[in-house]
Amino acid sequence: MALLELRNISKIYGELKALDNVSLHVDKGEWVAIMGPSGSGKSTMMNIIGCMDKPTRGEVLLDGEDISKLPGKRLTDIRRDKIGLIFQQFHMVTYLTAVENVMVSQYYHSMPDEQEALEALGRVGLRERARHLPSQLSGGEQQRVCVARALINHPELILADEPTGNLDEANENIVLDLFRQLHREGTTLIVVTHDPEVAEAAQRTIVLEHGRVAREIVNENFKE
Amino acid sequence: MGASPYRYVRLDMTSRQQSFTTAGTDFEQVQKTSPYFSVEGSYPEAPREILVGREIAETIGARVGSDMELTWQPTVREADGEASDDWTPGAVLSGSAKGFGDAMVVVTATLDDEAKIAEIKIDASTQTPEYGGRTAEDALFLKQFIGKSLPLTMGGDVDALSGATVTSTAVVEALNAARAADAAAQPKTTRYRVTGILVTGGEEEGYVFMSTDDLQALTGEDVLDVAELSVSADEEQLNAYAEALTGNGVTARLVKRVTKSETAVLGKLQALVFLVTVVVLILTMICVSTTMMAVVSERRREIGLRKALGASDNSIRGEFLGEGMFLGLLGGALGAVLGFVFAQVVSVNVFHASIMFRPLLLPVTVLVSMIIAAASCLMPIKRAVAIDPALVLKGE
Repeated sequence: MALLELRNISKIYGELKALDNVSLHVDKGEWVAIMGPSGSGKSTMMNIIGCMDKPTRGEVLLDGEDISKLPGKRLTDIRRDKIGLIFQQFHMVTYLTAVENVMVSQYYHSMPDEQEALEALGRVGLRERARHLPSQLSGGEQQRVCVARALINHPELILADEPTGNLDEANENIVLDLFRQLHREGTTLIVVTHDPEVAEAAQRTIVLEHGRVAREIVNENFKE
Repeated sequence: MGASPYRYVRLDMTSRQQSFTTAGTDFEQVQKTSPYFSVEGSYPEAPREILVGREIAETIGARVGSDMELTWQPTVREADGEASDDWTPGAVLSGSAKGFGDAMVVVTATLDDEAKIAEIKIDASTQTPEYGGRTAEDALFLKQFIGKSLPLTMGGDVDALSGATVTSTAVVEALNAARAADAAAQPKTTRYRVTGILVTGGEEEGYVFMSTDDLQALTGEDVLDVAELSVSADEEQLNAYAEALTGNGVTARLVKRVTKSETAVLGKLQALVFLVTVVVLILTMICVSTTMMAVVSERRREIGLRKALGASDNSIRGEFLGEGMFLGLLGGALGAVLGFVFAQVVSVNVFHASIMFRPLLLPVTVLVSMIIAAASCLMPIKRAVAIDPALVLKGE
């Protein structure tokens, strides 16, 4: 069953077609990587999937609901309820501790629950670092906090933008292991990356070029 | 709001060759009608306690707690059956006698430098208007008294007004009685304790103040010269009151010049302070607005992140507005307290008067500063709301 479906979407900025008649189908529980050189439309696609932008044409169906025509306010609600975001630059609130950063996500979603936030940090192996400020954490640790923050509200879709772009290999593997774990639990993952190794960890890779889907690679070596 | 009686008498200071105008009054009322009186020490409470004006205190070296002997001299002193030269110029004698139908006729005479009658006033309102009543108005009858020394003889010094013999006789008797009473009076000396030095910056600093009871005990007279009324009303109302009070030998006057110029100065001061306040508020607004603008720019990424994590525009607005208004609340409360302290210091040092704390001041100040803070936040909030959550994705 499709969790996300893009139907012939285009995003046009004046003369520039950032996305040109793109269609994409992601099933519930699937792990999809999106690759492509810069300027290929990755970011635009990610913004549209992440409910932070709307396509100029076409339909975006999330959980069967067309969100392409919704006003910004509704998009915010949908993003909050259904999508967990992970960023290349981590983006933590600098003056809040790790556990408080996780609780920020809870705060906007429903109610901050420190116990739950601590458990989520436990899942990413940072229970002991919960009271540390971002400046006291390594890049890998920060990104793990961000994974905990993304999954705290049990989103149906986790959208990661170059999640390992700023990490060394050891930390990259930790993050990929976390993704595998989430995948096993049935979370749908969309990972935007230009790192072939990260793409290979996914079940399927979509390659974008000049705003179009150039090819689609199914990873036959994918292990559950 | 209050009514203070005043009786002015000149008293001699026994130990020095000096005399001071002394006012007999009611201190409790004085504190109501003249709240601007500032007393070093305290207001008298017990009998034979007095307030001394600063000017006098400096001249004679009086301090709070020191003693002072004051002597009252009768207006016309008789020594060995003769009128002495030792009287007070411009002294006023007042007496009464039974006229027609046993009704009282009251006569007041002002004496000149040689103890001769300079002016006479007759209140014959109890007498028949066509007969005895005319004594008060008949110029020829009144003229007979001017330049004469007391006592007077009927038929000798003064001729009766025709048709008003009884009343005319009563007038002469009243004058003679007044003189006799005055002559019988003896100088009297009493010792007083100074409980306070009066500082007003006005002519009151040259007066001695004592209670009406004390002054009466000293002079034996139960008369009032002036009653000061303090009324809370505007000028028109005050004029109406004054008109209603005038008559029956009473003249009501507005302390107009003082109130008018004071009102004008206060009005100008108030307008000036108001103007300054408005300017300061505008500057504050610009300042706060700029600061908040900087905060929004600085926290751009954080705001974008919060929005990406699901913060609605309203919760962003709420956070900034809440922060701004909370700071406004703190600033307003702190400002009100510090401002009051500052105003008190200025008032005491410049105007020699302490100010009262108006309870309404605190909530109004806090409210205004919160409104200003909120208004200053509007532009920055608009900017914060416009931040695109997608900016956090672009790896900035």
